Amino acid sequence: MKTRLYVGVLLCIALAAAPPLLAHHSFAMFDTAKRLTMSGTVTAFEWTNPHVYIEIDVPDEKGTVKHWSVELGSPSILMQAGWKFSDVKVGDKITVVLNPLRSGEPGGLLAQATVRDGRVLGNGPGRVGGQP
Amino acid sequence: MSANTLASPKGPALLVLCVLLGSHAQAQTAPDLSGAWAPYRAGRGGDPALNPPPPTPIVLKPLYAKPYETRRAAEDEATKKGEPLGTAAVQCVPYGFPRMMAVALYPAEIIQRPSQITIITEAFSEVRRVYMNQPQLPIDEVPPGYYGHSVGKWDGNTLVIDTVGIKESVLGYQNTPHSTQMRISERLRLVTPDLLHDQITVEDPVVLEKPFTYTLAYRRMPNYKMVEFVCENNREYLDEKGAVKMKLRER
Repeated sequence: MKTRLYVGVLLCIALAAAPPLLAHHSFAMFDTAKRLTMSGTVTAFEWTNPHVYIEIDVPDEKGTVKHWSVELGSPSILMQAGWKFSDVKVGDKITVVLNPLRSGEPGGLLAQATVRDGRVLGNGPGRVGGQP
Repeated sequence: MSANTLASPKGPALLVLCVLLGSHAQAQTAPDLSGAWAPYRAGRGGDPALNPPPPTPIVLKPLYAKPYETRRAAEDEATKKGEPLGTAAVQCVPYGFPRMMAVALYPAEIIQRPSQITIITEAFSEVRRVYMNQPQLPIDEVPPGYYGHSVGKWDGNTLVIDTVGIKESVLGYQNTPHSTQMRISERLRLVTPDLLHDQITVEDPVVLEKPFTYTLAYRRMPNYKMVEFVCENNREYLDEKGAVKMKLRER
């Protein structure tokens, strides 16, 4: 009977001492090995769940404007890293470093932002993760 | 106190006094878990000695092990390709119990009353209600849901919670499957005045060969005010392959 009892596959989950924490979604759609830096004008700042978004118009050297959507963590996670809902406003000039979408579309995951008072803010405490 | 005393005109008042004193004494001995708690990771500058013990292995019955492994392999493969497979949370559906107890860095708030302990987790504003000193309901009498039916009692300084009635679509720890016969017991205790361990044991005679146990740790967050979480602006969506994509805005 004992043998039968252990016929079930032993799922030895490779874990460190602490169990892993859930994340809202995998970040595999972003290329975290790549970092793009861009400066532009904020067209929207959405302090919302499950994610905060910064929408920016980014001009290239010829003056052609391309629009980018930047995903951040959630308000709770960002607040733990020093963000406030009022740190970014429409019309602000902002510089962001982001991990672009692997699809090549103009979107990405924020790595850091330089906001209008010059502070450099990350995307939540710790690593790139920390989002829900 | 004799039966005659209780039968006297002062009896009911005495009885009430006894009950109040009794509950007061219990409240005095039970540790106060009220307040906000954040997931604790010793790696973030904490003391590794306070880490919870490692989880025990999850042993699924063969009928459930195969699809579980297949799904995990598909998830790993999709993630490698940069097209992660979606979960219920990507569609703004709450985690439910027990996964809600460990979501990223989101804090949880405990509201402790002698008759009920309420646990509110910040991600998705999920709520558990633990009814104290009540018998558990038979599993088949609990409508399956996200949080089930929880009863609790104090075992010395340890809060012991028993939960049944989690619906099958609410995945378990490590996204494991479970049946409606699952029962989850928890033992919450203060390891230090500001460090709480929640030892969670999952039993399921239908899906599991044997129960498994894992322990979560939380650090106290004095004066923390819980942040609201309404999933109103979900830009993630699943494409035709079930992969997570991000909706982009036009100018």
